[in-house]
Amino acid sequence: MFDDGTPIYRQIADQIKAEIMNGSLEPGGKVMSTNQYAAFYQINPATAQKAFRELVDEGVLYKQRGVGMFVAEDARERLAADFRERFFERVLAPLVQEARQAGITLTDIIDYLEAQEGARK
Amino acid sequence: MLALQNLTLPNRRFTLGLGIAQAALNYFKYWIIAAVAIAFLGPLSLSQYNEIDLSTWFYTANIAKWFTAFVAGGFLYVLVPNMIATGMTRRELSVAMGVFGLLWSAALGVLVFAGLLIERVYYGAMDWTQGIQADNATTAIGTWGETAAFAAVYPLLYLAYFAAGALIGAAAYRWQSSGWLLLFPVLVVVFSLDNAVYDTEPFGPSWAGVLGRFIDDWGRGLVLTGIAVVAAGLAIASRRILIDIPLHSKKA
Amino acid sequence: MSFSATLRDVTLKYRDGDALADVNLDLEAGKIYGLLGRNGAGKTSLLSLLAAFRKPTSGEILVGGEPVWENAGIVSRVALIREGGDFDDSDTVKAAIETGQIRPGFDTAYALKLAERFELPLKKKVRELSRGKRSILAAICGLAARAELTMFDEVHLGMDAPTRDAFYKELLAEYMDRPHTVILSTHLIDEVANYLEEVIIVDKGRILRHEELEVLQDLGATLTGPAAAVDDVAAGLEVLAEQQLGGTKSVTVAAFGPGTRERAAAAGLEIGPVGLQDLFIHLTEPSRNGA
Repeated sequence: MFDDGTPIYRQIADQIKAEIMNGSLEPGGKVMSTNQYAAFYQINPATAQKAFRELVDEGVLYKQRGVGMFVAEDARERLAADFRERFFERVLAPLVQEARQAGITLTDIIDYLEAQEGARK
Repeated sequence: MLALQNLTLPNRRFTLGLGIAQAALNYFKYWIIAAVAIAFLGPLSLSQYNEIDLSTWFYTANIAKWFTAFVAGGFLYVLVPNMIATGMTRRELSVAMGVFGLLWSAALGVLVFAGLLIERVYYGAMDWTQGIQADNATTAIGTWGETAAFAAVYPLLYLAYFAAGALIGAAAYRWQSSGWLLLFPVLVVVFSLDNAVYDTEPFGPSWAGVLGRFIDDWGRGLVLTGIAVVAAGLAIASRRILIDIPLHSKKA
Repeated sequence: MSFSATLRDVTLKYRDGDALADVNLDLEAGKIYGLLGRNGAGKTSLLSLLAAFRKPTSGEILVGGEPVWENAGIVSRVALIREGGDFDDSDTVKAAIETGQIRPGFDTAYALKLAERFELPLKKKVRELSRGKRSILAAICGLAARAELTMFDEVHLGMDAPTRDAFYKELLAEYMDRPHTVILSTHLIDEVANYLEEVIIVDKGRILRHEELEVLQDLGATLTGPAAAVDDVAAGLEVLAEQQLGGTKSVTVAAFGPGTRERAAAAGLEIGPVGLQDLFIHLTEPSRNGA
């Protein structure tokens, strides 16, 4: 269920973010409790709690005492902005570097992307 | 084992002692019933061929002494790891064991007391002699009073044998290879005192009664006091061995 | 109220040598701990002391803030389950379970429910059980003790994989239902890693590491790349293992520093994680620690 590299709490946080981005978690919606997460993924509840704490710190979730965790109203915008900010550095830069090692030029990549975009229209 | 559901922490050592006594008597109930049956029916079948001049209950009562020591040692040997691992302290276990010893000795003592008195009636009706082996001669126990006095000694004897068994059981658990050797000195003391009470023939290995030679003129009261002191001493010694006993590690 | 556990300058000597030497350890209440160590490292000795199965040669052991030795109020709420359990083998399974009732907090109904779920034959004698069933019986008695400090010492031995899985699941469910302190001692580290909050590694009678799980999981890394570049980045780091194939070198380092990850990335090295099991093997390598 989890890959070995990244700590589990970060994987859970990423998963919750992905669910917010793809719409399966609505803004204002209630998130499962730490115990539900722990039981579902068979992990220590403290680990799930760590993921929640991180998301609260990032403003993605907020806590209502005694009720539970909810998705922030602006969570999707926040995450989208965050993703845009890191897209070039995290995703594109390594991709371009790998392509270069294989002898693929920047023009090849641009041509490919334009062709894809054209096909979709 | 028993209804432990409603026990409280301060009382659980007594509850456990009562529970072990119940469990032990229940576990051996068929043995005990068989022994009682043999004690009454045995002489009946023997009387076809022989004159009956010995009390069968005398033998039954003596076998019960060995049995008591065996039960005390065997139970304690098993209870030490079992109960400590179940969250009891060694002090609680030693109290539980004391309660068990008192109840067991009382139960067997009452049984033997009743057995000897009923036997007296039974032998009287059959016109047999209720006798015991003493100093190479068969002696009749005698009057009602003498029979009762003779029978009344057994609860105390059982207590002494119980304490002896418990001591050997505790030592055998604590010192796995050598603890059981305590058997020899303990046996000599308990056995000699036991034989001195009625100057009876040693009921078991005769070497064990070696001290009897020095105490056979002490008089009954003094010997009985000696037995009580020895029983208490053995109980204290078992408690001492038990009180900081470590559980053996399990070899994988 | 779950129990904390503390060892202060604890030494335990056996006739044939030291089992634990001057150990200090603080375990907060309410967490699940993993206790790792090679055979003979002192895991069982440590647990035996916490459960008052034995007395330390010197030092102090507090459980729930009180000395644990001969303390009925504490030991009645501490459970140490050893491999195969400590049963009277002539008892029936049912009687063995009911013996647990000597603990005022024991939950007989829960024990019987688990016995049914794990298909334990209640009427059979304990001595007639297979090794696996015996381990389950021991584990069930541990769970149903509803203790405030529950320790399982290699209790999984003899259980098959699906049973182990079901046991861990039940342990977690019981833990969430009723938070208390749990210590799991095991060799199957990766199997239980996700259940743990903190990990204690014991080696040669000492506490080698006591960390949060994530800290340990982040501790080590494998660096792979051109030998010169790898040596350059790994210089000054604690190297646990290394191997070389032609010009490519791979080293496993402990205690990955904050700047190191970036330097390794800049040097174009491949950075891989080190599993808890591997890290444990490296850290307790007999050639390390001056043995």
